[in-house]
Amino acid sequence: MSTISAYRRANDSVGIRNYIIVISTVSCVNTVVSKIGLHTGAIPITHEQGCVEFEDDHRQTVLALMRAGQNPNVYGVIVVGLGCEQTSSKDLIEAIESFGKPVKSLLVQQEGGSPETIAKGIELVRQLQKESTEVIRETESLAGLVVGVQCGGSDWTTAISGNTVIGRMTDLVIENGGTVLMSEVFGFPGSEHIVAERMITHEKGVEVLKMVEELRNDFLNDHGQTIEKINPTEGNKAGGITTLVEKSMGNIKKMGSSRIEGILKLGEQVPYPGLWIVDARVQGPDQFGTTGFAMAGANVTVFSTGRGTPIGNAVMPVIKITGNPKAYKRLESILDFNAGTVLEGKTIDSTGKELYEFLLEVASGKQTKSEINESFEFAIPREKARLT
Amino acid sequence: MNVIQIEERDNIGVATQTLKKGDVLKHKNGEFTVLETIPIGHKVALELIPKNEFIIKYNVPIGRAKVDIQLGDYVHTHNVEDVTEELCNKNKELFLVKGGK
Repeated sequence: MSTISAYRRANDSVGIRNYIIVISTVSCVNTVVSKIGLHTGAIPITHEQGCVEFEDDHRQTVLALMRAGQNPNVYGVIVVGLGCEQTSSKDLIEAIESFGKPVKSLLVQQEGGSPETIAKGIELVRQLQKESTEVIRETESLAGLVVGVQCGGSDWTTAISGNTVIGRMTDLVIENGGTVLMSEVFGFPGSEHIVAERMITHEKGVEVLKMVEELRNDFLNDHGQTIEKINPTEGNKAGGITTLVEKSMGNIKKMGSSRIEGILKLGEQVPYPGLWIVDARVQGPDQFGTTGFAMAGANVTVFSTGRGTPIGNAVMPVIKITGNPKAYKRLESILDFNAGTVLEGKTIDSTGKELYEFLLEVASGKQTKSEINESFEFAIPREKARLT
Repeated sequence: MNVIQIEERDNIGVATQTLKKGDVLKHKNGEFTVLETIPIGHKVALELIPKNEFIIKYNVPIGRAKVDIQLGDYVHTHNVEDVTEELCNKNKELFLVKGGK
């Protein structure tokens, strides 16, 4: 069985990084949070929410911020608020502290303004940074490793050399006792019968069919057409995709061939190791999906991209692999792994194994391009499907 | 390498560079001639796929042959029917009837 070198946390979760993050509770203090990050190297989490939100939306905002702070990759947190916003700093802090992490609080209205809050924030981060060096990496099994798998910025190679290679890696993570999370449920219709068959029990298979049925109905209500009618798109066809089942198979290939344990709601923590589906139905930029993984407690995301994207995440390294050898040459500063060798004759099996080894190196401390470039995206996903 | 066969059972391969009509390619079953120009990322038949038989990619049926598709033929919307709805419905029904494994 493989092992990694990682940080064991007070609540027994396993982190692969020792990040210090600065969380904004409301968009009014985003600049303050960004500046604390700029001066210290702590990771700022800013967003456009936190006040005058509908209750459901606000619950989601708080859940996302709370899960970010609780993520096993995070050593400690500075929570920065304004003082009159909808988000309760107190509740947020208590929720993060309950995971055994140090949390410091700042309110701009109490500290006497922005420069004062920034100065104090810098001081607090430095304190946490000093303490954080006392925590050391230890040998851990893969039982605490949670890996998201995602794709975006796709081209014709994404399904063939990108996602199939990720699929092999997924099977290796599962065989070695780890966890893999799949989302992108908007890409399921067309192969839901295949996913259903792979669920651990018949009841869970029925849950998958129900989930996709809901998606299909939402689509029909919003567009007046079935998904099949407009999918694959003309652009997909020009790229070589002939049918919808072919298109969605390219998506679910990232799940390899392991059995699937169940469906997790957005923000639900992984109950035990294995392959899981995160039911995040947000359509929009890739950051929503990645943040959905972080909210389930993911340590790292492996992201396949044919065209290339700089995406990272505030609480996770993101490993970017491309199935396109030309993209790799052109965009090496943002891409970590070249799976395009498959198109040049290397086997999917051996390339998948190499990706798995690379993943273990990253889990043990090797920096990804997303970290080197300080790409720390964070986007709060919404519960309800939003079709644009 | 000009064509990649993703899974052992697949009866099509994906062109990893544009294939020209008349190109001779090697496959585990021997050599075959490309019958039409096939753009990069598109599919080529690796065996005879008789009319009404399934196109197999990723080890699953992805569509049905509208005509006899010859070894070396270009495989796309012109000779493949999208039967996703039928596949989904049939398999969902089978799955629900089965009621457990």
